[in-house]
Amino acid sequence: MKNTIFIVIAALLLIVSFLIFTNTAFLVKGYSGIKGGVSEVTGPALSLMGKPADLVRHIFNSYINLVGTKKENVQLKAKLEALQLDHQRIFEIENENRRLKAVLNLMDQQKNTMVAARVVGEDIKNWFKCIIIDKGRNSGIREKMPVVTAKGLVGQTVEINKWHTKVMVMNDINSSIDVYIEGKNTRGMLEGTGQNTLKLKYILKNDEIEIGDKLVTSGKDGIYPKGLQAGIVITVNRNKAGIFTDVDVMSFNNFKRLDEVLIVKKQ
Amino acid sequence: MRFSVYVLIGISLTIFQSSILSALPIEFFKPDFGIPLIIYTTLFLGPQAGLIATLILALFQEILSNAPQGSILFTKLSVFIIATFLKKQLYIDSKYSFSYICSGFVILESFLFMALSLLSKGETGNIVNIILYTFPNAIFTGFLSIFLFSFLEYLNMRFLSRE
Repeated sequence: MKNTIFIVIAALLLIVSFLIFTNTAFLVKGYSGIKGGVSEVTGPALSLMGKPADLVRHIFNSYINLVGTKKENVQLKAKLEALQLDHQRIFEIENENRRLKAVLNLMDQQKNTMVAARVVGEDIKNWFKCIIIDKGRNSGIREKMPVVTAKGLVGQTVEINKWHTKVMVMNDINSSIDVYIEGKNTRGMLEGTGQNTLKLKYILKNDEIEIGDKLVTSGKDGIYPKGLQAGIVITVNRNKAGIFTDVDVMSFNNFKRLDEVLIVKKQ
Repeated sequence: MRFSVYVLIGISLTIFQSSILSALPIEFFKPDFGIPLIIYTTLFLGPQAGLIATLILALFQEILSNAPQGSILFTKLSVFIIATFLKKQLYIDSKYSFSYICSGFVILESFLFMALSLLSKGETGNIVNIILYTFPNAIFTGFLSIFLFSFLEYLNMRFLSRE
């Protein structure tokens, strides 16, 4: 009997979750409130765990990738190894310095319109592509703000709490950006595929486009300002049936290796 | 006490997955730490504890994911209900049988999610991605479930009272 009660409660909650999924307004509002409350509590934990992530990334890049090389250098003395480690550290610092300088340059160009943030996590499901950054509502971040790096566009903010912001990366299946080809009149929609490459849709077969063309945001979708670098065309297939060309695009950013990003505040 | 420890482990592993595991290049294999803990709690502590654990872990997973609102809650609750109904059919005699069951439920969850997206919203865009990642995710979750089961059993014997 007791078990039946819990199964009935679960079945009712299942119906509620289905209604939330189908965007039933009053349930979505309540559920967002609960989620917001819980995420405010978990925020510090995520920030705390996000710190060792840099160390893990560093260890993985500098140690595990060097396992093969290490075997060849068995005879090297301890002093040399220490020097190599120092060199590696300097190399990492130089890289970080270069990255941060690029971020600062970009921020100087548009003062008071950008917020710098560190990436502290990512989506726990690989069906969706999102990153979590360490700046939230307190930093003036709101929904649907563009997120960029010095290299180019990253995505847009989708969920904000006091501590963190969820950023939908442009290769997420739900992402869609109005872009045009730099120096040409061709316009299209850049859509995420859930994979590393993106698809440029609605390009007619007689439109001007070729491999190596750079895409920039058109500013007409109401989210991304005009002129942000979005990606580069890597394949153009006009042999596909229909009136549109099949175009693959590669983003300028490697979303798996993002450390710092900038959020463009809307004026 | 046992319930709180299991849920705390589940929450910690979920946050760990989002933050630290994201630093490793294992995009193709993303484990679901929620499923093993939901199944373990439901089968060994009963439906009351199982339901609460399901709600808490589903909520945490949704906070750390870009999945549509309510979708993870729906799939996790479905997993809980199915596990409760199959309680007498699921025979866990070792960490390996637990691992197989967890893998199976990860596959089931993926298909539930696809069905939910397809039938309620007619969304077909993400189906290829979900199919692509389902089996690697299931294998990796099953693999980690072996260690998780051993760890939970160790905790039960060493620190937590057996019921």
